[in-house]
Amino acid sequence: MLLKTLNFHRFKCGFAPVLRASRLFSNSPPSDVQQPSDESISGKQVKPERKSVVPSNSRFIYPEFLPDPKIEWRNSLREKLERMDMIQRRKHIDIPEFYVGSIMAVSSSNQHAPNKATRFVGICIQRLGCGLRANFTLRNVIKHVGTEMKYQLYDPTIQKIEVLRLEKRLDDELLYLRDAPNEYSTFDENMEVEYLPEGAPVPVNPEMVKLKPRPWRARWERKNMKGLADLGLEDRFYERAEELATPWEKYDLMKQYRKTIPEEEQKEIFAEVYSELHEVEVMRKKLKRKKVFIKPTKNV
Amino acid sequence: MKRFSSCLYKKYSGSLCSIKYVSTSANIHPKTEIVAYQNNLFDNEQKRQREAVGRIEKITVKYIGVPENVTLSMNKGISTPFHCAQHISEMLVKRSGLALIDETHLWDMHRPLESDCELTFMHAQYLPDPYHFNRAYWRSCSLILGAVISKAFKTDIQPTLHSFPSPNVKSGSFVYDVELSNLPEWAPTENELRILSANMVKFAQKSYKFERLAVSEELALDIFQENKFKKEQVPNIAQQSIDKKVVLYRIDDHIEISRGPMIGNTDLLGRCSITAVHRLDTKNGHLYRFQGVSLPVNIMLNHFAYSLLEQRAKKLNAARWVDQAQNDTYVPQFSREETAV
Amino acid sequence: MNQAEVSQLVSKLRIRINPRHKNLKCPEGPQGRLNKLRKTVNALFKYERLELNYTLADETRGYAERLISEAIRHGDTHKPTMEMADYWIEEKQLIHKLFKVLVPRFNDYQTSYTMLYRAPKAYPEIVYPRSVLELRGNPFPAILPQRSDQRNFIHNVLLDEAKKAYRAEKYEEITKSLEEQRDE
Repeated sequence: MLLKTLNFHRFKCGFAPVLRASRLFSNSPPSDVQQPSDESISGKQVKPERKSVVPSNSRFIYPEFLPDPKIEWRNSLREKLERMDMIQRRKHIDIPEFYVGSIMAVSSSNQHAPNKATRFVGICIQRLGCGLRANFTLRNVIKHVGTEMKYQLYDPTIQKIEVLRLEKRLDDELLYLRDAPNEYSTFDENMEVEYLPEGAPVPVNPEMVKLKPRPWRARWERKNMKGLADLGLEDRFYERAEELATPWEKYDLMKQYRKTIPEEEQKEIFAEVYSELHEVEVMRKKLKRKKVFIKPTKNV
Repeated sequence: MKRFSSCLYKKYSGSLCSIKYVSTSANIHPKTEIVAYQNNLFDNEQKRQREAVGRIEKITVKYIGVPENVTLSMNKGISTPFHCAQHISEMLVKRSGLALIDETHLWDMHRPLESDCELTFMHAQYLPDPYHFNRAYWRSCSLILGAVISKAFKTDIQPTLHSFPSPNVKSGSFVYDVELSNLPEWAPTENELRILSANMVKFAQKSYKFERLAVSEELALDIFQENKFKKEQVPNIAQQSIDKKVVLYRIDDHIEISRGPMIGNTDLLGRCSITAVHRLDTKNGHLYRFQGVSLPVNIMLNHFAYSLLEQRAKKLNAARWVDQAQNDTYVPQFSREETAV
Repeated sequence: MNQAEVSQLVSKLRIRINPRHKNLKCPEGPQGRLNKLRKTVNALFKYERLELNYTLADETRGYAERLISEAIRHGDTHKPTMEMADYWIEEKQLIHKLFKVLVPRFNDYQTSYTMLYRAPKAYPEIVYPRSVLELRGNPFPAILPQRSDQRNFIHNVLLDEAKKAYRAEKYEEITKSLEEQRDE
C-alpha cells in the first residue's frame, strides 16, 4: 500500500520520493527492541572503565554532537541541552556508528503496517544536520522503483537502527545514485549483518558508479565527484565545468574556518559527552558479542 | 555682632550658622589700597625691565617633540616659551605648564628666554616622568591658595600670609601657612571649606597668568611692607641668592615670593578641594595651616578614588614648620635654577 | 541546520570572527577578493605593521591568523600547509620568515597573533574608517601608551602614597592591639 502511493508519487513528480519517517506516536517504542537486558549487566557486574582520553575519531563517529558552525545560530545552552537529550535517546536505542555508503536497516513504527512497524533496508546516501535535527537518507530499489527514506536520527518512532555493512564510499554524498542504473542501489531486504573484526578500520568501497545517460538531476560533471566513472559527455560540458570551477576555494582559509568547529571546542564537547557515550558503546559491544555467538561469523 | 555680609550665596543660606568667618562675597577687599600699591610697584618694575632690554636681538629656539620639530627665531629677553608654543600649536598652548630648556633648566612659561636653546614643554602626562611638572603644579596650587585666602575673609579678620613649604606631592596635600588676626581658636566647618574650594576653582577658572619678576631687595621690602613675615624673610632670601635678587610671582593682583618655577596659567587647575585647616603653635605665634588637594585639568579620576585623596589630605601635613627649618621661599640655593636632572 | 565539516581539524583563533565575510570592492569576484587579501597578507608578513581601511584590515587579519596557526599546527614538513603558504605568500622568501621566524615567535602565545587598532581619519580626505594592523612582537614602538608610564602621573603618585599611609596606619593599629593584649 505504502509502496503504491510512493510509486504514484514518483510518477507525478519525476524523482524518487523522500519520505520523512517522523510520524509522532504518543506511545514510546516497544521495549523489546534491543533494550539492554538487565541480566546481562547485573550478571557479570562489569563496570565499563571510564576512559579519560577521548579518541580522536569521535568527530567522524558522532558528527551530530558538533553544533552548527554558523555563528549567529550558536547558543551554548541550547547545544548543551540538545546533547543531553541525544545521550538520553542513545541510552534507549542503539544508534550505531555509520557513514555515507553504509548499508543500513531501520525499523520504525508505522500504524498502517500489519505488525505496526516497517523495516527499510538501504544505502545511506546523505547525512545532514546536527543536534536533535540530525538526519540521514536511505536509498534502495524496491520492486524496480528507486525509493528513498529520510529518517531523523533521534526520532522517537524509530525502533531499531542496524548497520548491515559498515563501509565508506569515495564521496561524502551519494546523491548521484539517483541518476545511476538501479543495480547500484539495489540491496537485498533480507541481507545479513556483516561484522568487521574488532578494531579494524572502516573499509572504503572504491566502487565507481557509471551513470545513466543524461538528463540528470544535477550536472555531475561540475560537482567533482570521486566515485563517478567516466561520464561520457561532449567536450563542451567539461569546458563549461572548468569555467565555473572555483579552484581558489580550497585556499579560502576563513571560509573553511567558518564551516568547522575548532579543535579546542570539539575537545570540550566530546570531553563532556564521552564518558556516557562510551558507556553506551560498551553495552552495545556486549550485545554484539552475544549475537556473534549465536550466528556463524561471516567476515568480508 | 552680625558678621554676615549682605550677599550670601543662596546655596548656603540654609546653613548660615555654620558660615561665620569666611566671606561669601567677592567684593570685599580689606586691603585694596595696599594691593593697588603693590601692583603699581610691580607694574613699574616690569615695565622698567622690559625697556632695559634695549635693542632687540634674535635667538634661535629649537623645539623638539609633537606635533613636529620646529626651529623658531625669537626675540632675546622678550619672547617666552609661551610665545613659542603659540607659534607651534594650540594644543601646546593649552596643555603646557612648564618648559624645559636644553634638557636641564626648568623655565616658566612666561619667563623671557635669554639665549639660543632647545625647548620642550612639560604637561601633566609628560613622559617619561612628569615629576617636575607635578612639583611646579603643587607649588602653584599653594600660591593660588594664598591668593584665595587673602581675599576670602571678611574685613574684620586680617589674614597675614606667612609662607608655604617646599612642594611635596607625596605628602598628599599642598599647604599654606597663614596668621589670622582676631581668630585665636578657629575650626572651620565643612561649608567654610567648601566655600574656600569653590573660591579656589572660580579664581583658577579666570585664567590668570603667572607673571614672574626678579626684583631687588629694596623693592621687595617695599612691596611687602605691610606683611611682617615677608619683611623678615626678604633679606634672608636676597642674601642667599647669587645675584641678590628676589623672585616674585603675580597672579591677578596677588604677589608672592617664590623660587619657582610655576605653571603657566591658573586654568590648568582642575579638580580642587580645601580639606582641612590645622592650627600650629610656632615661635611666630599661632599660625593656621590650610591644606588642600587638587588634580590638573586633564587628569581624570573616579570620585571614589578622589575621596580617598581628600581623606588623606585632611590629616596634618607634617611638612617643615616655619620655624623648624628654611622654607621654600628662602632656600639657600635661591636664584640658581632648579635643574631637571 | 548545517553539519559542521569534520574532514579537517583547525585550531581555534583567538580573535573575534565576523559571522559573515565582509565584501570588498573587487570586480573580479571571489577570486579577485582573495588576490586582494593575498597582497595585504603578504605585506603584513613583510612589514609587520600596516595602515589600511578597516574592512580590509579586519578581513586580512583572519587569513593571517589562520595561516600562522596552520603553520604552528603542522610545521614546514606538512605538504598542504606548505601549499597554502605558497598560495598566500607571494614573495617566497617570506615563506621562510613564516616558518623560521613567526612560528617560533608565536609558538607559546596564548593571545592572538595580530592586533587591530582603529586609526584616526584624516579629515576631510579619507571618509572610510582607517585602522592599523600589526603582528604582535614586532620591532616597532608600541601603538598604545604603556600603562607603566602612567605610574608617575600626579593622581597615581597621590594614590600610591595614600595606600602606603593607610597601610602604615593599619599596621600601627595592629601592633597597638597586640601590645595591649600582651599587657593584659
